[in-house]
Amino acid sequence: MAAVTVEEKKPIIKYDFQKCTFCKICELSCAEKHFGKYGDSLSRIIIVRKGPLMLRQFVCTRCDRLFCIAACPKKALSYEKGNIVVDTKLCDSCAKCVQACPFHGIKIHPQTKMPIICDLCGGDPECIKRCPKGALAIAWLPVKKQ
Amino acid sequence: MKYAGYKGKILRINLTNKKVSTIEFSDEFARKYLGGNGFAARYIFDMVDPRMDAYDPSNVLAMMTGPFQGINIPTAGKYYMASKSPLTNGYFDSVSGGYIGAQLKFAGYDGMLIIGRAEKPTYLFIDDDRVEFRSAEGLWGKLTGETQEAIRAEVKDPNLYVSAIGPAGENLARYACVITDYRAAGRGGMGAVMGSKKLKAIAVRGSGTTEVADPDKFKAWMDWFGAESKKVPAFVTGLPTYGTPALVSSINNMFGGMGTLNHQSETFDRWESISGETLKKEYWSKDTSCPACPIACSKVFTAKSGKWKGAISEGPEYETIYSTGSMCGVDDMGAIIKADSLCDEWGLDTVTYGVTISFLMECYQRGLITKENTDGIEFKFGNDDIVVNYIEKAAKRIGIGDLIAEGSLRAARVIGGDSERFAIQVKGLEIPGHSARALRGMSLGYATATRGGSHHDPRPTGEYAGASDRKALEGKPAWVIGTQQMTTIGDCLVNCHFMERLLGFTLTPKYADMINAVTGLNYSYAELVDVAERVIDLERAFNVRTGIRRKDDTLPKRFLEEPIPAGPSKGMHTDEATLNKLLDEFYDLKGWDRRTGIPTKEKLARMGLEDVAEVLSRSC
Repeated sequence: MAAVTVEEKKPIIKYDFQKCTFCKICELSCAEKHFGKYGDSLSRIIIVRKGPLMLRQFVCTRCDRLFCIAACPKKALSYEKGNIVVDTKLCDSCAKCVQACPFHGIKIHPQTKMPIICDLCGGDPECIKRCPKGALAIAWLPVKKQ
Repeated sequence: MKYAGYKGKILRINLTNKKVSTIEFSDEFARKYLGGNGFAARYIFDMVDPRMDAYDPSNVLAMMTGPFQGINIPTAGKYYMASKSPLTNGYFDSVSGGYIGAQLKFAGYDGMLIIGRAEKPTYLFIDDDRVEFRSAEGLWGKLTGETQEAIRAEVKDPNLYVSAIGPAGENLARYACVITDYRAAGRGGMGAVMGSKKLKAIAVRGSGTTEVADPDKFKAWMDWFGAESKKVPAFVTGLPTYGTPALVSSINNMFGGMGTLNHQSETFDRWESISGETLKKEYWSKDTSCPACPIACSKVFTAKSGKWKGAISEGPEYETIYSTGSMCGVDDMGAIIKADSLCDEWGLDTVTYGVTISFLMECYQRGLITKENTDGIEFKFGNDDIVVNYIEKAAKRIGIGDLIAEGSLRAARVIGGDSERFAIQVKGLEIPGHSARALRGMSLGYATATRGGSHHDPRPTGEYAGASDRKALEGKPAWVIGTQQMTTIGDCLVNCHFMERLLGFTLTPKYADMINAVTGLNYSYAELVDVAERVIDLERAFNVRTGIRRKDDTLPKRFLEEPIPAGPSKGMHTDEATLNKLLDEFYDLKGWDRRTGIPTKEKLARMGLEDVAEVLSRSC
């Protein structure tokens, strides 16, 4: 047997592109919740449409490889309790984390220039609550540790 | 700006000399004209000489937002376009779903006014405060889908919002549309105005934000909407399940008002094969929506078998099923889906296209045109190949396509004879699938609408719902005025008119509540009514300067003279004498002159439009 043991579970935002209607209410709800303003530049979740039937969601997946943390030259990012956390004192807005994330889950705040990453709203994500079609849900995935 | 929902800035873009400037407007201006429709009507009245051709470089193409774009308010995921129309020669506006309106707001503008004509094919890329004139020479001739994809690839942003025209707009088909994603600013030839300016597309991206005046008040309104909308059957089952095609069975079977064979009848015997229920069962692939809308009335339909297997489109909406279906005697839903997608791709308005084809089919039936005129094709009702194949020909103006691209009124004037009597149009705009004979409100509504045959100036919904007796004459002018006020405020907010099912079929204080919750404008109901009247009067004043008078506020001769031959509305129509009586009362209520149909000096003064009255007295 390989030495893989399940130690904990991590949350992800599960997306059903069949149910999603591309209304983008999740995007603006995310911005509203975190900043009290509306704008997709402030949203941590983005839905992109490709062709009449294909939709994709982009949000932090809390991936096993943690590409963003590895890419940060200032060690400003860390993984704490299922979220990527930014130390704004250490971060110098180089955006290497944005480039490193293969899931397009990070963007830079247009004014503060700090990375903004999904934090699951502290456990009760606004995007899930506000989705009118039930296309978003929390799922718990096992974390594989060697 | 004192009020939320505005940026206080309008972009002014001159394609001739590539000069870009911004116009700043005041709080008073926002209060007086509200946004979208109001802003565009004012700027176009001030900037455009109505006597010039719509294709003259001096014509202005307005792309506007209202105070609601970029905010999570239901059904406001839209943008607004206006110009002098090459189809009607009057003031024209067209509203489409699309996030580009919100992006414009995020970029820091409430709208843009585009004038001039580019030397070579161009597209505009607006990225916050940067405005780029980019070459579209490689895009010229491309379909709308390809164009959007190519621009996204060039800018390297798969999430970029692009409004584009197809070859129909480039070749000045008079009813060319503008497509964003899969939705159309369909009617009146806004795409042809873009084409005349050599403007292939507009792409907008903004990194800014929007805010509401009072988050608590806004949340309270949103909660109210959330609770109340659950009580509206159309929001809960009808529209989410079937989309607008749900209307086919009720309009055909309950109201007998679904135009068939170019309105030789208003009941289609094969309605079942094109009904919402059939579509849902046999063709449905996916629900989609405009941004910010929880209803999701939009559907992607696919022909899964049969002659048109593989045809896929977001849509067709009810109007397209009417225009390319029952009007042309076509009952193969696959062909209608194919026609819908081709109209979007080549960039044509499906309503005008379908009604122009049905008009030509009737001309053929009556021997007014023959095979010699139709490139050797038997132009018969029921031929689904014609409906599909002539889209490309119209967009390229090949053969009889050149005539189809002119719309039914101009085609009738070329064909001659008595053909104009059954050209189903008002002021040059083809009438959509809400009967001008079975609904009295629509008789008067179409006749008096700024745009002509548009169901988004007056609204049929209240008469279907029984809020106004569709057969009654009494009180009808006031009802029509109310629905026109409602749609005008909707177009100022650039909100979906489907909100009428919750907020009222005519303008009600509930609309003021919604506006006040977002903007802090704190309108009284009376003040809001004045905004609507002011904007309608401005549009009318523009049209008056193009020569529009009472004589033009009429219906196709067929509707004035021939009752509906059969079905639930058998015998119904509004004859000339009745229409004239309705018009008298309508003008009196509006404060428009009975004899001429021109807004009176007193009315314009009451609306704070003394300068408009001054222009009219000089030019009329």
